[in-house]
Amino acid sequence: MKFLLSLAWKNLSRYRRRTTITAVALAVGVAVFIWMDGWLLGAELESRRNIIWYEAGAAKVLNQEYLEQIQNLPLKQVVEDAAGVERALASLGLEATRRAVFSGELFLGEGSLFVKAVALDPATDGRVFRLQETVRQGRFLQTGEPETLLGEWLARDLGAAVGDWVTVRARSRFGAFQTLDLQIVGILNCPNPVINQGTIFLPLDLADQALELEGAVSEIALAFPEWQEPEARLGQIRRALAGFPELAVADWQELARDFLAIAEGKRAGTGMLLLLIFIIAAVGISNTMLMAVYERVREIGMMRALGMRDLSIRLAFLLEAGGIGLIGSALGLVLGAALNWYMVRWGLDLSAFIGDMQVGYRVHSVFRSAWHPQALVGAVVFGVLASMLISFIPSSRALRKRITDCLRHV
Amino acid sequence: MIRPALAAALLLAAAAAFPQSAEEIVRRLEANQRFRTQEAEGSLVITDRFGSRTKTFLSYAEGQERMLLAFTNVEEKGQKILRLRDEIYLYFPEAEEVVRLQGAALKESVMGSDFSYEDLTGEKSLLDLYEVKLSGRELLAGREQFLLELKARARGVAYPAQKLWVDVEEYLPRRAEYYALSGRLLKTLEVLEVRRVGGRSVMSRAIMRDAMKKSSSTEFRVQRVKLDEPLPKNIFSLEALSW
Amino acid sequence: MKLAALAFRNIRRNRRRSLLSGAAIALAALAITFMFSWLSGILGDYRHNVVHYLTGHVRLRNAEYQANERLNPLHLSVAGSRELVARLEAEPLAAAVAPRIQFATAIYREEQTFGALGLGVDFPREEKFMQTAGSLSEGRLPRMGQREALLGAGLAGEVGVGVGERITLLGKNKYLGMAGMSFTVTGLARFPVSGFDRTFLLVPLDTAQAMLKMQDEATEVLLLARQEREAGELAARAGRILAEAGRGEVEVRPWDRIGMLVSLMRSIDVMYNFIALFFFILGTTVIINTTMMVIFERLREIGTVAALGMKPGEIVRLFFLEAFYISIISAFLGVLLGSAITLLLSRNGVDLSRMLQGVDFEVSAVIRPRLSIRSTVLVFLYSVAVSTLASFLPSRRAARVQPVEALRSI
Repeated sequence: MKFLLSLAWKNLSRYRRRTTITAVALAVGVAVFIWMDGWLLGAELESRRNIIWYEAGAAKVLNQEYLEQIQNLPLKQVVEDAAGVERALASLGLEATRRAVFSGELFLGEGSLFVKAVALDPATDGRVFRLQETVRQGRFLQTGEPETLLGEWLARDLGAAVGDWVTVRARSRFGAFQTLDLQIVGILNCPNPVINQGTIFLPLDLADQALELEGAVSEIALAFPEWQEPEARLGQIRRALAGFPELAVADWQELARDFLAIAEGKRAGTGMLLLLIFIIAAVGISNTMLMAVYERVREIGMMRALGMRDLSIRLAFLLEAGGIGLIGSALGLVLGAALNWYMVRWGLDLSAFIGDMQVGYRVHSVFRSAWHPQALVGAVVFGVLASMLISFIPSSRALRKRITDCLRHV
Repeated sequence: MIRPALAAALLLAAAAAFPQSAEEIVRRLEANQRFRTQEAEGSLVITDRFGSRTKTFLSYAEGQERMLLAFTNVEEKGQKILRLRDEIYLYFPEAEEVVRLQGAALKESVMGSDFSYEDLTGEKSLLDLYEVKLSGRELLAGREQFLLELKARARGVAYPAQKLWVDVEEYLPRRAEYYALSGRLLKTLEVLEVRRVGGRSVMSRAIMRDAMKKSSSTEFRVQRVKLDEPLPKNIFSLEALSW
Repeated sequence: MKLAALAFRNIRRNRRRSLLSGAAIALAALAITFMFSWLSGILGDYRHNVVHYLTGHVRLRNAEYQANERLNPLHLSVAGSRELVARLEAEPLAAAVAPRIQFATAIYREEQTFGALGLGVDFPREEKFMQTAGSLSEGRLPRMGQREALLGAGLAGEVGVGVGERITLLGKNKYLGMAGMSFTVTGLARFPVSGFDRTFLLVPLDTAQAMLKMQDEATEVLLLARQEREAGELAARAGRILAEAGRGEVEVRPWDRIGMLVSLMRSIDVMYNFIALFFFILGTTVIINTTMMVIFERLREIGTVAALGMKPGEIVRLFFLEAFYISIISAFLGVLLGSAITLLLSRNGVDLSRMLQGVDFEVSAVIRPRLSIRSTVLVFLYSVAVSTLASFLPSRRAARVQPVEALRSI
């Protein structure tokens, strides 16, 4: 066995050109597959993130009656004892933040629009949501200040800019009219269009006071670490909240049922691309590998003439193919991972190609990938196994021939 | 013996000179507007930034709890709004179902006006909802008014504060201002015309303005009023809506 | 001439080798051809849905409508629509004209309300536009002038109403007063986009006008050009027709100036082109590797012909020709096969509806790959060029090697 290993290694280094060409074919295939898969997964996660990061969190604790008529954003149905709920959940080690959500009419100058207003706690919101990262102009909210953030499209529709004062007319928790004067401190460009188009944000303590909330909130949004089983989590949360029969726990899937489906659609259309990539890569690998072995029928004949056993020859070729597979896949892994890393870290900004539309809407144009460990491992394993398997066909055919035929083979 | 009698006389005199506590004014104001039945023909002129629209209607009311508004202008002819206590029903001649408004829908405006369906409900006396304070007298359009300041007693009241100008002679409201919790002025109501009907004074023209939207106002006019005369039977019922 | 014959003989003689390198080229060409058709199918489908359901090739609206769109301003309408439609239909560039009324509405049923997007349409005219009859899944189309409605199947499911049942629609009329009318559901439609499926409610235009107290008015008139590229010209002509009629209040927009949807489409387009680029890279490496491998494996042969006195230039040309012939044949076969698969799939479509439940993206559940002659020819030429050029480099190097050395290499 040791002999066979060293033979395979010697062959690999002796036919350097062949090794290189075959390995490169393999590497490019593996790399493109990894890259593409990461991108598609990224696109899929993107929509999911748009919901989780900006709208729903991983799950929310809300009043059961609120959940039933959530489209109306009724401030009457609240989570009364937010602190109590957080204490009950403390042992689960989840990140949590409080939000109060209400509908209101936003006034700026002569114009007005109905909006969804989200009052958040600037100190803890970042534990669950990533709104802060989407601030394109100005800055994020500060506790206790009469400030607001609004989405880019909404700002455009209203003709609002950072520094402008707006007034929001809403009803308090108990139904009294209330007005809030807020200064725009930041404009968001959130990948989630719902937020870009019709949502404003303000500090929770301000809303608490103005809307007579007295510590009650509409929801407590929770973040789960990504690797956790959400079903088990929800069960734990429900048990922990047994003392609050009026409350319900809804996960992001329930909160954003419609929106979620977009991701499914994208996946369906692009899964085909992945399949095609896989086919090309497989063909590339098998062709070069087939060629590499067929060209060596003479060599096989020589080995047999020298008295080497068939099994050993087969093994030697398998090991050699596995070696090429390993080199190529490793190369591909490095290349693909590097590409993917760039795509995860920085994303691919295609805005230069898309250009600024005359109509004035900016579409989200940075595509980001995601890490997909299964695909990384899978691509490498497939690269190695496929190489070995494919080399098996021509080598066993050569072994079935007579030695003299083998030697005569060009 | 003389002293108590004198004291009583003095008290009465004082009461005559300054007869009013704020509550008393409100009570007289409300008594003045309370009818057993009322039948009226009027119109709403609704103005917003897109322009003005006129809706004409016939209205019937019985006590404080029952009211029917039937529109007579071309665009909404035959549409009816029925109020029974806190319930609001809408009737459309071209629809088979009577629509019951609930929850958030009650906060919507009636026909795009500055009134909401909610404003149509609420039979309670102002005194149940508000603490009332008399803060002085003012002249409005040459007539003397009591100026009342109202603060909501409980938190659920839509307008947490109001100012009310009440005509000293007629005990009719002349002007009202509605405020948000923040103290910001939301709406103003101005009574432009008062008419005498059967020895009683009735508001016949008033205008409601949204203080936050300059171009928005709703003018309310009553062309004809009948008070305390018998109404057609059973008109305040769901079955009768389709007449 | 003699070289060409030699090249052919070589190809025939090394049948396995030729087959392998040919297969690589053919498969790469096949996959790329199919991928182009697949992507252009998705994009074309998106385009079709946007144009036929939402924007037309040219859209006519009241100039002030856009700015107030969120308020559903029915009074900002296109008046005299009947005469206008007749005039526009006389325009030879216009393949179809459809007046529509878009109105926000709520379906009221048993004390519950469900939001929907109402569309008052001219059903006979829509046969060239939305092709409503084709989407009908149950029942029949509403008749003009009747209080009959066609519901998206998803919407009908949500409301819990079937064919033959009655629903009441609520909304605001043109004068911002209330509007309410009962309709018989005569049909359910499976619109190609499930987002439409859950929101669209179609009623006859004239009935909508009666309900909303609109006279001979529409909120928009959509035009379909005979050819997509004539959209700009059609818009210009529609503008002239409006100017002649003294209808300055009506704004004309070709569909590529309509905003959001088109921006989104461009961003998808750019993303797909980027994916295509990587496909090309992968395909190219497969072709290059196989071709190079073939030549390197034949160094001995090169040595032999060189020893027999063939000049280096001739050797290069011989190999060049060999590669050229192989690539022409296999690229042709690959493209042919790819086109055949595409045509086969485009006839029946690839049904993704199970994966696409409730998608809000304007892509149909059934994807039909679309063959584009231009990109197919391009793929053919590209594959031939790449593989031929790929043969050039190694054969030139091989030709420069001393015959003895070439003979020594196995």
